[in-house]
Amino acid sequence: MVGLAFALGGPVGAQPAPKKDKKAAKAPKVDLGPTVAALNGVDLEAAVKAAETLGASTEPAAHDALLDGLAMGLPGTVAISAMMALTQHPAPPDVAALRRYAGHHNPTVRSAALSALALYPDPIARKTLIAGLHDMAGAVRAAAASAAAKGRVRESIDPLFELLARGEDSASKALAAMADADLARKIGDRLGQVPDAILAQTLGLVLKRADFGPDTARVELVRAIGKLPDAQAIGVLTDYVDATPANPPRQSREEAKKMVEARMSGGGK
Amino acid sequence: MIRSVRLLALACVLAACGPKSMFRLTSEDNDRAAISAALAKRQLPEQPAPLNSARQPRMFVVQAGSPKTIVAYDLNAGSVLWKVDADVQSRVWVGGDFILVLEGKQLVARDQKSGTARWKLGVQGELVGATADRDHAYVTWREGSGKSTWYIAGFDASSGKELWRAPSDGQLGAPVAHGGVVYSPFLAQWLYLVDGSTGAQLARLRGIDEQISMLRVTSRTAYFGSKQGVFALDVRAASGKRGDATYGQAKIPPQLDRTSYGIDVYDHVQNAYTAADRARVLWSSVPSDAGPMKFTADTYAVHYFRYMFGFDMAGELVWAYSHPRVELVASEHTGTAIIGLSSNGEIIVLDPKTGALRASRNLGLGQQVIGATFDADGWQPRGDGTKVETLAALVSIARDRDARFDRVKELAVAALAKQPGGEVTKELLAVLADKRAPQKLKETVVDMLAERKDPASLAVLTDQLATRSDYLAKTEPESLGAVAKAIASLAGSKLDGKDVAAALVALQGHLDDAATQTPDLVMVIRAMAAIGGGAERPVLASHLLLYHADDDVGTDAAWQTAIVTALSVHGGPGEHALLRQVAADPRTKQGLTAAIKDALVND
Repeated sequence: MVGLAFALGGPVGAQPAPKKDKKAAKAPKVDLGPTVAALNGVDLEAAVKAAETLGASTEPAAHDALLDGLAMGLPGTVAISAMMALTQHPAPPDVAALRRYAGHHNPTVRSAALSALALYPDPIARKTLIAGLHDMAGAVRAAAASAAAKGRVRESIDPLFELLARGEDSASKALAAMADADLARKIGDRLGQVPDAILAQTLGLVLKRADFGPDTARVELVRAIGKLPDAQAIGVLTDYVDATPANPPRQSREEAKKMVEARMSGGGK
Repeated sequence: MIRSVRLLALACVLAACGPKSMFRLTSEDNDRAAISAALAKRQLPEQPAPLNSARQPRMFVVQAGSPKTIVAYDLNAGSVLWKVDADVQSRVWVGGDFILVLEGKQLVARDQKSGTARWKLGVQGELVGATADRDHAYVTWREGSGKSTWYIAGFDASSGKELWRAPSDGQLGAPVAHGGVVYSPFLAQWLYLVDGSTGAQLARLRGIDEQISMLRVTSRTAYFGSKQGVFALDVRAASGKRGDATYGQAKIPPQLDRTSYGIDVYDHVQNAYTAADRARVLWSSVPSDAGPMKFTADTYAVHYFRYMFGFDMAGELVWAYSHPRVELVASEHTGTAIIGLSSNGEIIVLDPKTGALRASRNLGLGQQVIGATFDADGWQPRGDGTKVETLAALVSIARDRDARFDRVKELAVAALAKQPGGEVTKELLAVLADKRAPQKLKETVVDMLAERKDPASLAVLTDQLATRSDYLAKTEPESLGAVAKAIASLAGSKLDGKDVAAALVALQGHLDDAATQTPDLVMVIRAMAAIGGGAERPVLASHLLLYHADDDVGTDAAWQTAIVTALSVHGGPGEHALLRQVAADPRTKQGLTAAIKDALVND
């Protein structure tokens, strides 16, 4: 196929094909011929279905058919399905294809490509995700932020902080999802540099995470939230107190409760 | 002693003071012998020289204020001769040892050495114009509101005594005098040559090809004409026709359309210094017995408010000067230099051929200058400055904030674009980046960037592509389409391989940038195809595949044409095979399929 060479260039041969996994033998056999034809056909609904079918298949040929389709250029809706299908069985060659669609003019297509790239622990994938945080379209930045969090892309933290400073909700959620004790402290240190409301929301999201700890780290967070104005702090701390069981006792919960009570009675900071 | 004279008071003297009804429709026109004799009667210096008796280059400046001030300035000495406060209502007319100025409602002759008033003349009716030569003052005025009568009269410069007057039932224009002969325009079609001492008609010229609405004299040459061009007043002028006379035309760019060759003698407003003095063709000529007028050094200049432009005879801009901050309110061509005076009292001297700033000096006048009259013919000022700043001047004009000069900026940009080099490209790009620059100017810059086809600019254009859309950095590409268009214009030029490689990388960045708008995308594709030499084909082929079935980009007709042309014209067999494959794909957008089939019809 002439198009494949043009679309993927030299590096395509250098990437290893996806390995057969153990489940391959158990998965239903796909009749590749008609499915691939449907993927590349004019019936968009059938093409989307074909992409899903190919994605579910564990056969390397099915994966290759998705890559070929993407290389030859798929209409937006089909491309989105094909990229999601690829991630069912991620393989290194996918990154080049996804990166190509991460610069697509259609923001929905770009967002889908970035979301898919979250699953690839590849430097190019990470770089593409970070580039997505600079995208002019808010929806694409949100997708990139979510993907960066999902992929635990540490290099995305600085641009996420920049987005947080501009009040972007997606950055708040991404940072909260990625935060360990050290990052949570850094988020708390942004007091005055980031709008109070979004800072409170971010710290609150970290505090709510069941996997965040130890409690000394939570205490630090509660104290950081305590530095925020009443309107933002009370809501976040109340949520935390309400969502956390009284037993076993937690110092972070106790401090949060005292802060709420003090502020409610007018004796706040 | 100051002597007042009422122009109308001496009706009885009228008949004795000159020929009656000299001005009439029927008379002998363009009598070569009479014109030759009239011109021979003039007392002209052997060499170009100031008119004043001391033969010293002088300038008479009128400053704003209540009252205004007349300042006499010795250009050679660089010093003020005298200053006099006066209710100045006109320009200054310079005579031998006096000047003439309308002050209030009186024409006042002032001693040129001291500035003291010598005599005054009450003006009744409407002053049409005045002038002076060595020994006489001449005044033209109109009387009567219904059926008007015009008069021209000659006065003795020493006493103010009226020597003669001549009435006219037809409109007279402002007179100009020259070596004892006064030129009086009549009904926009004739020019009377009148003996300045007696008021006798010496000859009469009739303009056949052109109106006569402009007069200008230097110490040795008189010119007449209109906004269209100028005749030298020599014996060949007797023809009245451009082709048989010593006739010259400066090619004035349309952007400088307010420019004129001199004062409109039928516009009374121009008796005072006006904006018309700030838009002048500045020229001198050498005598010739045949053919058109020969402008000195084959150049002429245009003073246009703050700017001066020098042109060759083909009308190509040779040099430019932009005066800092304020306008030049007066200018003159002395034959060997162009002098200008700014509204803040700075005098500049330019080389007429090169535009080099030979000298500049602030006169330290304090008050704002309204206008000035130069008496400096033949002046070759000291000062050996050779600084030609045409490039800087053009840049300064192009980036001028003054909205009055938007069209002049277009002229500057066009001239700028003809200069070679990357620096010029940078300046043009800076105009594009200027958010306050008018859209029309930007469009001119875009065209000029494309027209100049300067290979040395590729690196500069590539630098311009470095800025990309970035939400966090708050940046967007500047003039991407224009820059890409300029790069595309370099097709076929000999380009440095490294520059091309860098340009292709930068262009691909924008090709792959989701924020690139489709019209710009088209330009980027054209640019890549124009300079890529084949290296661009894989990238463009991939781009085609990505969007051939896309509902947005894929349906844009300009994009379809650009991408198909890039791959069909610049591509080889591989690209043609790809195009056929895309055309055969049922998902390919209809217009794209058609474009491919058209492009490969002979394949």
